[in-house]
This record gives sequence, structure tokens and C-alpha cells, in this order.
Amino acid sequence: MGRRRRLVDPAAEAGAGALPKVIAALSRSLPAGPSPEIFRRAKFDRPEAAPALWQLLFRLLSPRSADGASASLALEAQVCLVKSALRSQGYPRLVLAQLPEDGSRGSRELLLALSWLLARGPLPEQLLAQAHVQLGDEIPVCECEALASPGPRVPHVEAEGPVDIRCVQWLMGRLRFRWRCLIASQQEQCTLLSKIHLYTRGCHSDQRLGHLSVAETEMLRDPEGGQQLLRRLERENTGLEAALEWRRGELVFWRWMDTVLGACPPEAPAAATQPTFLPRIAERGLGRLELAARELRALQEELCEATGRRRAAWEARVGGQGRGPQWSSARQALQKAVEQELAALRWAWEQDRGPARPHGPHRLVRCEDEAPGGQHLRAAEVIQALRSQEACLEAALRRLQGQCRQELARLAGALPGLIWILPPRC
Amino acid sequence: MLPADCSRRLVAELQGALDACAERQLQLEQSLRVSRRLLRTWEPAGTLAPEARLEPETKEEDHSPACTPGPQDLKELELLTQALKKAVLARKVTSKAGERAKAPSLKSGSFATSPGMTASTPSWAPGQAGSCASEAKPTRGIRQTTVPAKGHPERRLPSAGNRARVGVGARATRPGPGLRDQHVALSAAPEAPESFTLKEKGSLLQLPTAFRKAASQNSRLWAQLTSAQPRDSTNATAAAKTYFLQQMQTASGRPGPVLSAAEVEAEVGRLQEACSLLRLHMKEELSAAPTDWTQEYRCLLTLEGLQAIAGQCLHRLQELHAEQPVAPCPVGRPSRAPPPCGGGAGPFWSPQLLLYSSTQELQTLAALRLRVAMLDQQVHLEKVLLEQEVGRLLLNGRTAG
Repeated sequence: MGRRRRLVDPAAEAGAGALPKVIAALSRSLPAGPSPEIFRRAKFDRPEAAPALWQLLFRLLSPRSADGASASLALEAQVCLVKSALRSQGYPRLVLAQLPEDGSRGSRELLLALSWLLARGPLPEQLLAQAHVQLGDEIPVCECEALASPGPRVPHVEAEGPVDIRCVQWLMGRLRFRWRCLIASQQEQCTLLSKIHLYTRGCHSDQRLGHLSVAETEMLRDPEGGQQLLRRLERENTGLEAALEWRRGELVFWRWMDTVLGACPPEAPAAATQPTFLPRIAERGLGRLELAARELRALQEELCEATGRRRAAWEARVGGQGRGPQWSSARQALQKAVEQELAALRWAWEQDRGPARPHGPHRLVRCEDEAPGGQHLRAAEVIQALRSQEACLEAALRRLQGQCRQELARLAGALPGLIWILPPRC
Repeated sequence: MLPADCSRRLVAELQGALDACAERQLQLEQSLRVSRRLLRTWEPAGTLAPEARLEPETKEEDHSPACTPGPQDLKELELLTQALKKAVLARKVTSKAGERAKAPSLKSGSFATSPGMTASTPSWAPGQAGSCASEAKPTRGIRQTTVPAKGHPERRLPSAGNRARVGVGARATRPGPGLRDQHVALSAAPEAPESFTLKEKGSLLQLPTAFRKAASQNSRLWAQLTSAQPRDSTNATAAAKTYFLQQMQTASGRPGPVLSAAEVEAEVGRLQEACSLLRLHMKEELSAAPTDWTQEYRCLLTLEGLQAIAGQCLHRLQELHAEQPVAPCPVGRPSRAPPPCGGGAGPFWSPQLLLYSSTQELQTLAALRLRVAMLDQQVHLEKVLLEQEVGRLLLNGRTAG
């Protein structure tokens, strides 16, 4: 007990002071980061450290859009969400799931969970990027953000029994209308933005930008708001500096975490209770796999047919000619070139990235000169990319609608004369 | 009628889509409000009634509670008015020294030191309302002469009574924001109405120094952070992290790294993406007309390569299917397909610019973006419908068999 005052950590070769500094930096770089004392107590599995760590994990794992509402959630609810979020991410240890719901125990396990999350990805940087203060007029050039946002939260209407198709049609009509309104509002916003950019030309200290953004102009119009923006920016800078300090010194932390893990009793490889699954979701999981497999099989067949034809044509054509040395060297060169292309293609989806698609939010800058500014993205390029995406999606939609019709026909059973006509989509 | 649980999910998804749309609309409307306000005449920061451009209108604002002067202020107003009368008489002498000499005598704790405030002072004291008309014309003249005197960068104006007609001046009083060249701006003011509009004077604005410093520090820090990332992969820290993760896995007693539900979904999504990319390439190759034998051969090789890759992807899917007969999902909302663009490992935030050259171009861009989002949503809804049906068919098939 007397050791509580000092850190006893043989792994902190850089000096006993390095570890608390690094932990303090980590805390500063995370939102709602607890004090280094909490971390130390967690190593010894002290119960008083548990609630702070539950809350930290909740803050880290909950979707960013739910910030306002989630802050008021009770500890039990937070505990629940943290457990399920960690499980879905594949957290290996079972002890976590068995911790009490009231959040009163388990600080060491929580410390391990936090470290697990930190080891898997650059968590502080991601969180800082999410909370980043927008200074410019940003427009995302892809729809990543929209896709990443949570889907339907709670079904507003839990319909008992079959739902009338007209209800679905009505909802879809409403959706179409909302999209139209959105597009109209967006057009107006573009006009206003363009004007503001035009009028504030030449004001910005940064030559690349040339004009002010809405946020910056607003700051000049409303100095109070400007002060708030400045404070937020300074807070972000503090967080960034803390993250840099954390990165520089985190090795000490990892060595310490090894000792924490070592202090844990080994887990009994008991029969883990299978997480319950809802039949609906299982259906969906199966459905997705099967759909993907079907698409690939169809593609494979098409490719098979096409290559067969081409190969036959090729053999017929080349068979007559002789094979000389320049032919084989040319052939090798072609083979290599094709291999490289295909490797690049593979890399495209394996790296979770499309073929050089522009990504992320970009700051809008009005710039009339046609200078070939290589490193900056131009609106014309994005428009082109979006048009091709549009065409792809339209084709995909038509294909899916066809498949849907087929499936519904099959479901409808042995009524061959029945044709299912889906509600029209614009 | 749609089958029961299938339609429930569809309705839930539609509701979700409607909610998402509503949220976007809300955000857009907020931005619209801000932008519209910026393009109108700027009100002074005291958040009082909208600036009156014409003198007569100031009488209506006499009774605004924010600027009810106390007795001390009234006395000082009295003094100020006296001084103004003298200044009117001395208008012909436009020396700066003369103005400056008067200014200190007007100084008081809670009162404006700027003679420029004279424009609005008549309207403060209700008792002085009568003299408003008579002061109106002279104050205009005074403004001309006091313009040079306003070169003082810091003026303390009472926050309660900040009725600066010259909206530009109001900003000079707060720490930070200022004009690049106050003289230039203000000398233009007397002719034009005193209000500030972005259209006329937008190019005169200047960002405050504190902000500029913070902003440049911000981009510098982000640049440092993003460049620190790749180094990580080669040094001891990365090794320590990997070791820790391995230890976590073995300490749990479970066999090997199990693919979590999220990872399986991510992989399936990637394979779907692969399929569409392959299909795209296939179309390109088939539509290209080879002119000579090299191109023809290349085309053939490419197609065969695509076929091989498709086979590999299919194989991987079958492996996943075998590993995870039922994919346990977290309780909660169903998740969307992983986005096609780069995920979390990429640059967290880098100040990339998007250059546009005209309003038209910007509008096209924005409209297309929304159209793509809308199409994507529609595709998702169709997939939901399809997945439910296909899944049910499979399950029925299994249980029946």
C-alpha cells in the first residue's frame, strides 16, 4: 500500500518520470481523458478507477454523431454499449463481457481494452480529426461520411404483421420530395458561397487560398463567435501537441502494458457462451455473402465466355504465323505489363481504396485562372468522377431492381402468372 | 403485400433515410442562414436593432433598453454635446491636433473617447431627442473631420451603447479583428452609407493576428502528426504494439484470431467492390477495338487475368461462408456497407483544396454529389430488400432439407 505514492515500473528505462508524462499526454489527446492516477490504479485493479475508464471507452466507441444525446446516458447503459461495441470489433478477452453492469469493477480489464484499441489503430488522431475545427468551406468529394453515419436508429413504427405496400410507397414519395428540397437548398448555398468568396478576394494571409471562407468572414462579423472559434482552435492545438508527445514516448507505455497484462490471472478457457444472434440479422449476413457470391459467379461466367471466344480467335489468327524470337520477347513484355496492371487493380480494393478516387473533405477555393495547379483538385475532375459514379450506380440500380423482381417472383411461389411490379423509383 | 419482417426492415431503413435527409436539410439551412446574414448589411456586434442608415430613424431606437444611459452618462452626454457645438463652430479648422485636444477632455470611464461616436450620441439621451435634428447635419460634417482622428487602433466603446453607425469602427474596438487600412476604409465612408456590406468592402477585411497564428500552428501540427505515422511502421513501437496484441490474444485462451463480424462484413464488402471493379475492367477491355496483334494479345491476357482474380475472390467468399455459417452481429442498428474510399488508416485530415472557377461549376458539383448520394441510398434499399429475400430463401431451404 505504501507503494502507491511511487510508480514501480522496471520497464521505464527512460526514468520514472517518463511514464506518467506519456500517460498524461495520452489523456490530453483523448476526449474525456482521465488523470494518470486512474491509469495507475487500474493496473492494480482498483474499483474506484473503473467508472472513469468505462466513460472514456464509451466516449471513444460511441458514434460521433450521438455526442449530445449520449453524454446523458446512465453508466449502466454506457457499460452495455461498450461491451457490445468491443465484442463486434473482435475483442479477444472474455473477462470484459463478465464484468458487472453497474460499472463498479474491472478497471484493469478496461485498461487492457483501451490499450487494445490504441494498438490497433491511431485512435487519438482519428478522434482529433473527427472533432477538427472547420475553418474553410468544406465539401466532401465522396460519400464516405454519409455512409459511415449510423443507419436507422430505432424503428419508429414497429408494424405488426405485413405492411401495406402503399405505406412503403408513401414513405418513398416523401423521401423523393426531401431529396428535391435538399438539392434546391444546396443550389442556393452554392450561389451564396460563391458570392462570399468573390467579395472577400485578396483578404487571406495565405496566398493559396486568396479569399475568406464563411467561417472566417463570420468570425469578423461576430467577434464573440470569433473568440469562441479561436478558443476551440487553441484547444485542438493543445490536443494535437499532446498527441505528438504521446507518439514520441508511447514505447514506454507499451512496455508498461506488458507488465499489466502479466499481472492478470490467466483466463480459464471455459466454454464461451455463444453471442445470441437475431434470425433477422443472420438472414442478412447470409444474404450478403450469397449475393456477393452470385455476382462473382455471374461475372466469372461472362469472363469465361469472353476469354474463350478471344482465345479461340487468337489461336486461329496466330496459329498460321511462325513464332520467332521477337515474338516471345514481346509476349513476355506484354505479360509483365498486364500482371502489373492487375496487381494494381487488386491493390485497389484490398487497400479499401477505389482507383484513385478523390476522398475526404476538401476546402473550397474560388480560383478563376486556368493555371495547371497540379497538386490541387479541380472541380472539373471531381465532376467527371461523379458522373461516372452516377452511371455506375444507375446501372447497378437497374440490375438490382431486376434481381429483386426475380426473387420476389420466386418467393411468391408457384404462381407462374404473377408478376411483381415494384413501386416506381425515379 | 410484402412479407412481414422484410417490410419492417424496409420501413426502418426508409425512416432512417428520411431522418438522414432531414438532418442534412437542417445543417444546410443553418449554413444558409449564416451565409445570408453575411451578405446583408452587417450589424454592429452589440446585437442591437439593425443599423439605421438614415438619421431620422435613430429616433425610433431611442428607447432600446440596451442603451439606457445612467445619470452619469447623461451628464457626460451633456458635456459632449456642448463640446460638439463648439466643434461645429470650429469645423473649418480641420487640424488633427485640434481634434485630439478635444478628445482627452471627453474621456471618461464609461464613455466613448472617440469623437466619431458623436454621430449616435444625440439619439441616446431621450432629453436630447429634440436636438437630434439640429445635430444631424452638423454631425455629418464632424464625421468628415473626425475621420483622420479615428486612426487610433484601440478605442474603448461602451458595450451597452455601441451604436456605431460606421459599422467598420465597431470592429476596431474589439481586440483582434481590424481593418487593413482604416484610413482608406473610413475616408470612403462619409460618402457612402455608413453600413458595411461584404459586396462593397469585403476585400478590406483582415483576419486577426491571434487567429492567423493559431491557424498556421494548427496546419503545422497536423502536418507533423501525419508525417509521424509512416515512421511508426518501422520502429520499435510498432513491434511493441504487435507483441502486446499477440499477448492479448493468447492470454484469452481462444484459438487464433477470429474474424469478427465487422471484419467479415468488411471483407465481403471489399469483395463486392472487387466484383464491380473487375466488371468495369471487363467492359473496358471488351469495348476496346484492338488495332494490331499486340493489343489483341494484351486484351486476351487481361481478360484471362480478370477471370483468375474473379475465381480467387469467389474462393475467398466460400472460405468466409464456411468459417461463419451465421454471422453474429452486434445488437443494435444494422450497419451499412463499408465505404469504398480509404478508411481510417489514411491521412486523418490534410488541408486539401478543391478549386472551382464559377458558381455554375460549384452548383453542378454539389448537385451531382447529392444525386450520387441519392442513388447510393436507392441501391442500398434495393439490396436490403434483396438480402432479406435471398436469406430467407436459403434458410427455408436449409431447414426444409
